[in-house]
Amino acid sequence: MNAAHHILETLQRNGIDTVFGYPGGCIMPLYDALAARDMAREAAGNIQHVLCRHEQGCALAADGYARASGRIGVCIATSGPGATNLITGVANAHRDSIPLLVITGQVPTTLIGTDAFQETDVLGMALGIVKHSYLVTSAEELPQILDDALSLAQSGRPGPVWLDIPKDILLTELPAPGPTLTPPAAPKTSPDVSAALALLRQANKPLLYSGGGVSLASAEDAFRRFAAVSGLPNVVTLKGIGNPGLANPDYLGMLGMHGSRAANKAVDQCDVLLVIGARLDDRATGQLQTFAPHARLIHLDADAAELGKLKTADIALPCELNATLDSLSEALEASPLRIEPWRQQCRNGFITQGFHAAQNDEPHAPITGTAFVRELSRLTPDDAIIACDVGQHQMWIAQHYEFGHPRHHLSSGGLGTMGFGLPAAIGAQFARPGQTVINVTGDGSFMMNAQELATIRRYKLPVKLIILDNQCLGMVRQQQELFYGNRESEINLDDNPDFVALARAFDIPALSIHRVDQIQRGIGTLLAYNKAIVLHVAIAREDNVWPIVKPGASNIEMLDESYRTNNHPIKERIA
Amino acid sequence: MSPTTTQSSTCHQLACRMQAEPAALERVCQVIRIRGFRIDQMQVVNEGEVLAITLQLTGDRPVSMLCSQIEKLHSVLTLTLAGQQAPARQTA
Ligand SMILES: Cc1ncc(C[n+]2csc(CCOP(=O)(O)OP(=O)(O)O)c2C)c(N)n1
Repeated sequence: MNAAHHILETLQRNGIDTVFGYPGGCIMPLYDALAARDMAREAAGNIQHVLCRHEQGCALAADGYARASGRIGVCIATSGPGATNLITGVANAHRDSIPLLVITGQVPTTLIGTDAFQETDVLGMALGIVKHSYLVTSAEELPQILDDALSLAQSGRPGPVWLDIPKDILLTELPAPGPTLTPPAAPKTSPDVSAALALLRQANKPLLYSGGGVSLASAEDAFRRFAAVSGLPNVVTLKGIGNPGLANPDYLGMLGMHGSRAANKAVDQCDVLLVIGARLDDRATGQLQTFAPHARLIHLDADAAELGKLKTADIALPCELNATLDSLSEALEASPLRIEPWRQQCRNGFITQGFHAAQNDEPHAPITGTAFVRELSRLTPDDAIIACDVGQHQMWIAQHYEFGHPRHHLSSGGLGTMGFGLPAAIGAQFARPGQTVINVTGDGSFMMNAQELATIRRYKLPVKLIILDNQCLGMVRQQQELFYGNRESEINLDDNPDFVALARAFDIPALSIHRVDQIQRGIGTLLAYNKAIVLHVAIAREDNVWPIVKPGASNIEMLDESYRTNNHPIKERIA
Repeated sequence: MSPTTTQSSTCHQLACRMQAEPAALERVCQVIRIRGFRIDQMQVVNEGEVLAITLQLTGDRPVSMLCSQIEKLHSVLTLTLAGQQAPARQTA
């Protein structure tokens, strides 16, 4: 067999059954091998190749597949423009530590460095957005590289690993891959947690802060046990949403720029902050100097480089989270914390200063983003997967949708990639064929990867789309309104296409709603239909996300609706 | 951010051994630049499988933060900071 066959065989032996890709010149040997395998083993099954309609769609679909399943995602493209089109998707996975295997064809070895047709320096271009990358220089080294790449992408702090393979190498003969040796699972041991426990026991107002690292380590169960045993009031980052589950009485919501007042206040007041699987990103911490000003910090993460990177921790433990959380839980089970007054204070805070949506029940009132999202949360099944795009709608989902599990909330956190949602939903639906998958998007974001409607249609995926259409780039408009003297600049989208007609052009049914009394029926229709469907929701252009912290300001300086009326009289047109 | 020299800038000497793979040098140089340091001197000896790199750097951020980022590079085998050994590679 040639190296191309060898790659596919290796993927399959490693349990990979779905890949997302787009063909072209230098990767043709791999596509030829796919076709040959299809013909040879109709019965035995093959890797399913999903043809997206843009390489960015391939990378983001592989990312969504990995997020929803916890398994590695694979995307494939040709050299030159195929590889450059992947970049945004790979960067997206890198910033959120998503395990991806990226395979690109490269021009033949002898042509590298000659400015050959469709040659780009993929290795150089991708350096800053991969966990590691390889330019394969001989066929003999390929088997080892494949093994290393697959394990590297998924171990420790996961991330994308990129293989750039010249076409001539893909065509070189190689023996079939040997039996797959499942590498021994990394030992799950806990570091000494006695100092962390001592600090927690001294605290009067300890707070738990968790991020995406919990689900990346598949530590959801250990986390929930610890949260329950410790009874710690807790906040989450955007990527930690879902960590505490639906039944945690001490949950205070997301913190940060669009966090709840309850969460940001608790951080401001706590005397010990226990950070688990999070990197203290600026959108979460706000101005760092005024973040958690009274707290001693305990920081647990798989990536040692995150400890002390932005804020010095009193106790920093690079660790495997499952084992470490278990040792903490055992100790606290034996001798619980005594923090009742603080717990009660935080619970009361959440009741009065959690996320609230102004609800206008007048049937003909216009729909607001928050009220819509609350209704969506109420009506969808508990295991529904919501893939967001980027903007106000993303924050409304983060604030008002109740997630029972972090893998049900797919959101582009570190990179904030508009256009993420639709391909991510496609990937998630392949990973979770039986579950309801909904892409909640904005009119701006949707247009960034709208071509992927063709992918939904081709594979008959029952992905549902909700377009919250405010006829503008809402999040940018909001910041222009609040922080740039209400000077609107290039955010107007009032000449959007007819989204209903657009969906129908892809043979996907669509309906449009704009009044409060249409919400239930709209969502009901969406959920009852067993195929792809688009729900277009017209919302007011002026809807804002509240609270908001001005970029760079302290998290306790949360602005709400009153700031709008007092400081930036809204244009007459709006009034 | 641009690694400019300020009054608080400090010089650091690093010795790094890396797998001699095609992008090894670019990787380490890129991390140094992005994390806010400037290379003043660099010497590389190709020992076959391994590149022995010595670096003189200037920067005003904590050098331990740079070291932990360089150590995360998969092709870095060892990293030593001016006479002292940076902590061994942790989980990442
Ligand atoms: C690829 C990309 N380009 C630009 C931005 C900057 N940006 C962030 S939010 C936003 C507006 C998003 O508009 P829309 O999708 O309609 O969502 P809304 O905020 O209106 O809910 C823009 C332009 C981005 N995050 N990603």
